[in-house]
Amino acid sequence: MASAQESSLSTNSRDRSSIRNFFFSNEFGLLFLILVFATIFALLTTGFTSRFNLYALGRNISIDVVIGFSMMVVIVTGGLNLSVGSIGVSAVMFGGWLIEGMGSNLPIALILLLLGGGLLGAVNGVMVVRTGVHSFIITLATMSVYFGLMIWLTQAEAFRNLPPEVATFGRTKIYGYLSPLLLISLGVAIMLAVLYRYTSLGRNMLAAGANPTAAELSGVNVKRTFILCHALSGLLAALAATMLTCRTGAAIPSMTGHIGQDWLLPAFLAPVLGGTLLSGGKVSVLGTFFGAVLVSLLTNGLLLLQVSEFWVQAVLGALLLSAVLLEKLRNVVLLQNRFI
Amino acid sequence: MPLQKLLKAEWSGLLLVVTLAIILIGYLKPSFLTPFNIQILLAAISVNMVIALAQMLIVGIGQMNLSVGAIGGLVAISFAGLMDVFQLPIPLAVLVGLLIGLAAGLFNGVIIAFTGISAFIITLASLSVFKGINLGITEAQPFYGVAESVKSFGNSSFIGTLPLLILPALLALIGVWFLLNRMRFGRHVLAVGASPTAAGLVGISVRNIVIGTHALSGLLAAVAGMMVVARLQIGQPTIGDDWLILSFAAPVIGGAVLAGGHVNVIGTLLGVTTIAIITQALVLFEIDPFIVQIFLGLLILWAVGINRLRDLRLTLFSKPA
Repeated sequence: MASAQESSLSTNSRDRSSIRNFFFSNEFGLLFLILVFATIFALLTTGFTSRFNLYALGRNISIDVVIGFSMMVVIVTGGLNLSVGSIGVSAVMFGGWLIEGMGSNLPIALILLLLGGGLLGAVNGVMVVRTGVHSFIITLATMSVYFGLMIWLTQAEAFRNLPPEVATFGRTKIYGYLSPLLLISLGVAIMLAVLYRYTSLGRNMLAAGANPTAAELSGVNVKRTFILCHALSGLLAALAATMLTCRTGAAIPSMTGHIGQDWLLPAFLAPVLGGTLLSGGKVSVLGTFFGAVLVSLLTNGLLLLQVSEFWVQAVLGALLLSAVLLEKLRNVVLLQNRFI
Repeated sequence: MPLQKLLKAEWSGLLLVVTLAIILIGYLKPSFLTPFNIQILLAAISVNMVIALAQMLIVGIGQMNLSVGAIGGLVAISFAGLMDVFQLPIPLAVLVGLLIGLAAGLFNGVIIAFTGISAFIITLASLSVFKGINLGITEAQPFYGVAESVKSFGNSSFIGTLPLLILPALLALIGVWFLLNRMRFGRHVLAVGASPTAAGLVGISVRNIVIGTHALSGLLAAVAGMMVVARLQIGQPTIGDDWLILSFAAPVIGGAVLAGGHVNVIGTLLGVTTIAIITQALVLFEIDPFIVQIFLGLLILWAVGINRLRDLRLTLFSKPA
């Protein structure tokens, strides 16, 4: 374990060897883009800086951030989790059933639905680890299974009589423009940053993702670590869906789209924009956060600019495309500079 | 001899399962084997076969194409829109539809081949671009003015109960089989899928193969999209939304290795048939249609498990003594 930690630490220190590299970092680039676009939208649209819009934007950001994290924690393993949308909606519907069908109180339902999401994630993890099949195909299958089970059990009926606290919490405004949901996503971000930087579990996750064989030889239980990554992903997906339920005030079976497909783009956009390596072993919590902020900001600004919501999706797709292309270009340029 | 050859084929087990399922369901529910039902079943198999082939080719090079449905949907609404709004003659509309599919596939292929970025991310991004263009054009409203002859093509049958839609599907099936088994390009596709490095070293242009395969995948997705328009009689913007699971399930059930290099056209046909029969059976037995989704997922897991077992057996047998 120690050697794996050292190797990933030394990569980090090499990355940070010069201050100039900071300006080439994803986080800096994203922050720059966020500031540029925020300025453009503030100048070109009338409603962008209004208190209500900032409040609505913050609420969207907070949900997108957690969706992005739910994918990031699995990308760490070099895998992915296509079933985040299905897990999220299944967990929330489970919570709705606990409250409306079983008369359970809100805190217990909340804890159980988060654990339920974690469990569904762990099932993914166990199957990936046991079969050795790539998580793409396993989670492709479970996204269909989970969603099918959910829609069959609920008969596609929404839970609309949730306790009023749920909707009230979603509507709460701190200082008139800050949503408490934003605080939740900030809390999650800090916890994840601590996990990956300061705990041996988090370091093990990075080591196992970077090189499973080396990690195994260094004494890391790679299989158990991967299962935990998938469970964490399920838990965060359940949390994101809960936050979405607070915003809408009801648990609706279609809230993440057919078999949860609507979450795929935001889930991958944030970590990929944020510089998370798809091959595993490297994460950027701050980058993923900024990535989600940029995505929500662009969506919000384009809608204010009267761009039809249908075209916004095309723009987001183009954004993902240009982001990975720019990243590629940057690597090529950096590599050439180093060798010349 | 032919019997032995049949038993040796990796899809023989699947063929047995499909045959037994047809006999069993036909015995329990005689309405399953009525001409009307068979026609519906064959029409569904025809459309899904082309969708599955579009994905199977990409699985063959060891990649994935999440945008198959989005390409199909974009072509479907373009095809219907050209006939509805611009009154374009059908052959011209078909041609434009095919060109859009080809261009979309080329777009994917060129970016993947020249940047080396994972096909997953590129096709996820292009999925949103194509779907966004689709919704931007239609504003989520269908095109109703599909030409009468296209409608009747999607509805009519010949020689008893064979739907006309089976013709493009057969053409695609035979074409892809011939490509993969008898043509240089197809063999190169599988070589690249098995090992891009080795393929490159023996002088195959990996880049061209990747681009060509994605272009073909786009073309097949376009054909499938237009077939759905003929079947539904309108140009729905939601066409293609539910293709993702199906497109992977059928090739995987048919024995495709996701790492690339090994796909099976006949197996994929049997995979498509299995899915269609299960879907039909659930309807006939009046089982909740929502369960179809669960079955599709479980089928993938089951197929992956079976393929895994076969791989293990193969590696055990091929171990040097």
